Amino acid sequence: MRKMTAVKKSIITAVCIALCYVLPLMFHGIQNAGSIFCPMHIPVFICGLICGWPYGLLCGIAGPLLSSALTGMPPAAMLPSMMVELAVYGAVAGLMMKLVHTKSTYADLYISLITAIVCGRVLAGVAKALIFARGSYSMAAWVAGNVVTSWPGTVIQLVFIPGIVFALMKANLIPRRYPRLED
Amino acid sequence: MSMTERMTGQFIPGASLLHSLDARAKLFGFILLTAAVILADTVAGYALIIALMLLLTAVSKLPVSTVVGSVRRMFWFFVIIFIMNCLFYSAEDPIWSWWIISLSKAGAVQGFNVMFRILIILVLSNIFTLVTPPLEITSAIQSMLKPLKLLRLPADDIAMIISVAIQFIPTLLQEADTIKMAQIARGARFESRKLHERAAAMLPLIVPMFLSAFKRADELATAMEARGYRGAKHRSGKKAAPMPAGSYASILFCAAVCAAEIII
Repeated sequence: MRKMTAVKKSIITAVCIALCYVLPLMFHGIQNAGSIFCPMHIPVFICGLICGWPYGLLCGIAGPLLSSALTGMPPAAMLPSMMVELAVYGAVAGLMMKLVHTKSTYADLYISLITAIVCGRVLAGVAKALIFARGSYSMAAWVAGNVVTSWPGTVIQLVFIPGIVFALMKANLIPRRYPRLED
Repeated sequence: MSMTERMTGQFIPGASLLHSLDARAKLFGFILLTAAVILADTVAGYALIIALMLLLTAVSKLPVSTVVGSVRRMFWFFVIIFIMNCLFYSAEDPIWSWWIISLSKAGAVQGFNVMFRILIILVLSNIFTLVTPPLEITSAIQSMLKPLKLLRLPADDIAMIISVAIQFIPTLLQEADTIKMAQIARGARFESRKLHERAAAMLPLIVPMFLSAFKRADELATAMEARGYRGAKHRSGKKAAPMPAGSYASILFCAAVCAAEIII
């Protein structure tokens, strides 16, 4: 397996940004799919986990921006807070993968993913409360929007993202994290 | 897609007015026209957008079959989006409802709006990429991102990533459509009223979608490295020339269309 070069990381980031547009379109037939299943979050997490924090950060900013520019989804009013949330997901997932080394790929992935999910949701709430919806945002609104409504999306993320990363490793499309231990 | 069929969004050299415009003007015009499509929500607004599409297709001198190629290949994707919105939209005043099906005017309008916008933006992005060489798209994005260099951010690399992302969209949409049809053939129930059943039908699409997208990314990265690409900062390039007056006029035209959509 070739190592991850800067060029390969850049192209993977580009593909993840394109998937931020394509995946929500696939879910579009389901009403409120965006807020329930959060399909746009998946490529951002995967980009951060595989390519590192700068690429994850870029994917988190450019993904929703491109999708909003091309389809109007997410709407302009939701775009800034969503960009903050996704940028934190991508950056924290990448940072955690750099910092955490438990010698088990699954453990590393889950620790990074859960930390990123928590940080992203908390910071998105803080950004809404202090900047984007100042005065009209409450703790109850945060719990309803980021925890209750999106719990199916969180389950999908926790079940699917490590699985996708492993499938990519098995297909030799990305290098294994601990080659000697896993071979 | 057969081997002889042209890839969606592949540049076609030509001598039309659209080909001769500066790539920066085309990119800025594309953004303005996309905003106009999103703003359109009346019959007059839609008519203006359709007239504009016909005008752009005529001016580009591209074969109509090439311009609408990706749309034709995604016919069933549009049909599914429209039918799902028509029959399963939760409206308060349904025209007819039976069991899980609820036909409503609001659902039909919603289905049409979504389908129309995606379709027109797809045609628009197709025209943009058909008349603009990929390298010019990258330099146009680079010039738009120039202010980022003041913050010492790698604007050239970001421009390359965004231009590759834009060029991947039609390919991935086509891939998504193929995977979706394959799942329908295997018995996936995308039309179910139950949220968990519809979501469950969607989930088997995600893993193949990522595998296919990463395979394409791997191939492209290998090809770029084989040709000596080592990042945008190592590349040499010609200095950007100032935009000609005609390109400024085209931006003004697109801004006028956008303003007209706001007024209509």
